[in-house]
Amino acid sequence: MGTFDLKILATNKVFYDGKCKMLVVPALDGELAVMADHQNMVVATTIGDIRFQDDQSDEWHTAVVGIGFVHIANNRVTMLVDTAERPEDIDEVRAREAYERALEQLQQKQSIQEYHVSQASLARAMHRLKKGTRKIVD
Amino acid sequence: MASTREIQIRRKSIQDTMKITNAMYMISSTKLRKARANLEETEPYFFTLQSLVTNIMQRLPDVEHEFFGERTNKKPEDKVRGYIVISADKGLAGAYNHNILKFAQDQISQWKHYKLFVVGRAGRHYLRNRGIPLARHFHYAAQNPSLHRARIISETVMEQYRSGELDEIYIIYTYMKNSMTTETKMTRLLPFLPENFKQDGVESVQPWEGNDNGMFHGELLLKPSPNAVLDNILPDCVMGYIYGALIEAFCSEQSARMMAMEAANKSAAEMIHDLSIEYNRVRQAMITQEITEVISGAKAQKKKKKAKKKEEK
Repeated sequence: MGTFDLKILATNKVFYDGKCKMLVVPALDGELAVMADHQNMVVATTIGDIRFQDDQSDEWHTAVVGIGFVHIANNRVTMLVDTAERPEDIDEVRAREAYERALEQLQQKQSIQEYHVSQASLARAMHRLKKGTRKIVD
Repeated sequence: MASTREIQIRRKSIQDTMKITNAMYMISSTKLRKARANLEETEPYFFTLQSLVTNIMQRLPDVEHEFFGERTNKKPEDKVRGYIVISADKGLAGAYNHNILKFAQDQISQWKHYKLFVVGRAGRHYLRNRGIPLARHFHYAAQNPSLHRARIISETVMEQYRSGELDEIYIIYTYMKNSMTTETKMTRLLPFLPENFKQDGVESVQPWEGNDNGMFHGELLLKPSPNAVLDNILPDCVMGYIYGALIEAFCSEQSARMMAMEAANKSAAEMIHDLSIEYNRVRQAMITQEITEVISGAKAQKKKKKAKKKEEK
């Protein structure tokens, strides 16, 4: 199986930089898999999971990502997302707090713009809660 | 000449002030270091974003998007311009706040319609005292720039842009030209101009090495649709730029405060030096005077004795 270069960049860190055999991302209209020598394109992605296989093993690495896009050009794939976390790094306590805070905010009277912000943070928190494997931390 | 006691009191008070300025200097330098580290962590993302966006824009098929193109339905003088002004929460930072607010005032005085979005308490007080209306003030954002704050600010202005309340959006902030000098600067955020989205003083960074830089030069496919992709990317660009500007401004503020405090420390040390010399002079003068008094007293006594002896003879 051929490989391609992959970079996953989140706003606060470089999440992954290396070779990859296959990458699956949550596009707006369903999942999209990228393999070596893919057609050049740009895909918008939404909150969800990505998974990819590096060139060392057949194991799938998974991550929870926020909104972003994937840029595929000349067998080089750049994925830009606002957040990217491994499931084991998700702090369930924090995610739950964020979830509750977002819920509370949604119950308040808000402007449309505030509503969008709270709704987005609610979606983020819910997804992180669903995927987080790290249980209670003290 | 002041008495020694007065000079001592004054010297003590200068020393106390110096303790404060010294502490503020140290706090600013730690904060600056922290903010710089923060900026470095986010740099790969935003630089890549900028170069990818420029690349995408060049290959873009003809699309209509609300973020592109000048709004032609209004005359330039009737357009409502939104200004995001980033000031500090505290003073004592030299001319930092003054520069940015002066610049903002010059800008708004050119137009009939404007809206000000102010970050930082110093800016709010200044403008309110001059009776300039603020559209919105963002609390606490200047102190601790975070992505969350940047997101709130960008959502606010973009919402107004979409609804037609604002026709153009500018951001006014201070950036660090190099580690010593800072400069006030204005950039147009919307309508979108890709070349505006490069931070100054930074060479454009390509995500990939090699001749083609991982950029394509042929046909470009945007999925699910060009508009959906732009909808995802552009708000991020705006938000990213605001975030970058917040951090740049925060670094500039800390550096301005560091320099102001350094100058204060220096002049305090100078004043203490001058006062010590004056104190010594006064003390010496007092001693001299006392000695003169003692001597002249003794001399007078001697004369008296001599006169008495003569009389007895």
